[in-house]
Amino acid sequence: MANSRKEKPMRAATFHKNLITAAFAAFLVLFPMTFVTAAAGAADSLSEGDKQCLGCHSFDGLKKDLADGKTLSLHIQGDAFAKSIHGVIGCAVCHAEVDLKTHSQAKKNIASAREYSIAMTKVCSGCHAEALKQNEGSIHAMLLGRGNLSAPVCTDCHGSHAISPKTAYDTCVGCHQTAMGTHQKWLLNAGLHLEVVSCAACHAPTAQRMVDLRLYDGVARKWVAEKEGLPEFEKMARAADADGNGLDALELRKLMGLINRDPAGPQKNLRGRIELRTGVEAHRLSGKISAIKDCASCHQQGAEPFQNVTISIVSADGKPLRYKAQKEVLSSVLSVESLREFYAVGGTRSVLLDILLILAVLAGVSVPIGHQILKRIVKKQLERDAKTGASTKPEDHGRA
Amino acid sequence: MQRLYVHPLPVRIWHLINAIGFVAMLLTGAQIRYIGLVDLMSFRTAVTVHNWIGFVLIGNYFIWLLFYLFTDKIRVYHPELSPTKHFQASFRQLQYYGYGIFKGSPNPHQLSAYDKFNPMQSMMYQVVMFLLVPLLAVTGILLWDVQGFYGAVDFFGGVRVVDTVHVLIFIFFAFFIFLHVYMGSLGHTPTAHYKAMFITGYEEIEEEHAQGGATKQ
Repeated sequence: MANSRKEKPMRAATFHKNLITAAFAAFLVLFPMTFVTAAAGAADSLSEGDKQCLGCHSFDGLKKDLADGKTLSLHIQGDAFAKSIHGVIGCAVCHAEVDLKTHSQAKKNIASAREYSIAMTKVCSGCHAEALKQNEGSIHAMLLGRGNLSAPVCTDCHGSHAISPKTAYDTCVGCHQTAMGTHQKWLLNAGLHLEVVSCAACHAPTAQRMVDLRLYDGVARKWVAEKEGLPEFEKMARAADADGNGLDALELRKLMGLINRDPAGPQKNLRGRIELRTGVEAHRLSGKISAIKDCASCHQQGAEPFQNVTISIVSADGKPLRYKAQKEVLSSVLSVESLREFYAVGGTRSVLLDILLILAVLAGVSVPIGHQILKRIVKKQLERDAKTGASTKPEDHGRA
Repeated sequence: MQRLYVHPLPVRIWHLINAIGFVAMLLTGAQIRYIGLVDLMSFRTAVTVHNWIGFVLIGNYFIWLLFYLFTDKIRVYHPELSPTKHFQASFRQLQYYGYGIFKGSPNPHQLSAYDKFNPMQSMMYQVVMFLLVPLLAVTGILLWDVQGFYGAVDFFGGVRVVDTVHVLIFIFFAFFIFLHVYMGSLGHTPTAHYKAMFITGYEEIEEEHAQGGATKQ
């Protein structure tokens, strides 16, 4: 089993190694169902084969001695595994080398947990070849190649069994704990930036970015998730997007109206984040010298991240469920209410306000120009009147 | 010509700081909003300068507020409560600026230390000083730290609403500054009002219009 450096160290076992091995063999043969039941709360959705694995591997003290004198925990949290993205594929896809007949007696020599984690990346590449390919040129891969023991491999960021979609920030700060302080030294509103911009959006500078507007429950203070078995989001989005070309500002208002149709219920808002268009590209991380530092990358109108917009919700399995929106929703005056929580100064500015500013400046410049023109017209008129007055006066006088 | 002391020193200091500050705020604001189109300084410098000057102007607002709250000069901001009188006087003032001023008619507004604004100025400055400047300051503070003031930002309708209000007032001042500077040149000489407001505090008025307030001949 691949070891994650993030998993908690197991409790110290007091059994003798041989005794444990013998006991497991007996459990496998005689009482498998006892353990399956123990792990069942979680693992009901797992296959029978996986439940059989958990029959032993749900045992908290299960471990393996390594050649470096340390131990490797063989304990799997059934709950977390069942809920993870890999829960559906089961144990055998990654651990195809395991032969159940000989497994309990197998003496696979593992030098260290680190070596085992590195070796397991080959297993990951079986399905995630593109991610591994992107990772090849990354700063993480470069450090690994140099023998840096802190350089992460797949399991360090994604976990080994409790694999679930994570925000980049939560994942990255696991190792980069000083990230906030480092950014505060040079980045204005660093806290806000780290909240609304994923790490990879700047640290994978060659990747393509987008804006993901995700439903958020401000009262419960958490992301809104689809109810299991009751997928409504996509239906509502399709209902709002009558022409099927992505939600425009008006259609987005309609969608938010449908989502918040119960005025008594907690009102949901859209919170925007700048993310990468594909998670695969997040593996293309560069060193911090190459990271994006230019504010114009986001604060300039029409900046690359604002060219692609999605509206999303967390689906029942934890993955984001996205629906396409038109990029104009970010700058439309109709979005003032529906996108009340996302605005990038300069980058998503409203064209209507730009027009107003031009008119205001034109009006401001016109006042002195217009007044001076008026002054000339009035003065000429007054001069004309004075001349007319002077020439008509004697006649009038004569008439009188 | 009679000299009438209508701009006390605290008001002149406040106005000088405000004048420089507002020009700087408009320029840095334009740089922040129009990065790529305006290239006066870096975005980061513009935001930093905008924030600092913003706080200076908020402090400066209190110089103005405290001066008027604790002196009888607050009377210059007392509104005309009769709409009929106000609009009739405003119309006379408009006629003066649109015609009378060119043929040398006397200004219908009679300046004094306690009545230094004509009806149009009076209404404009009440809106500016008691509504727009405070609103600009509040929205500016909220935008300065959106995360820290999340509750207040949410209360006012979200960051997009707060920013839109801030920008709308910015747009108003982009117009107002042209108007204000030009109107300042319409004294009996083009620089008369500037000298009074920035340096001496004394406005020069025709004898027949002088009334009340401290005078110097």
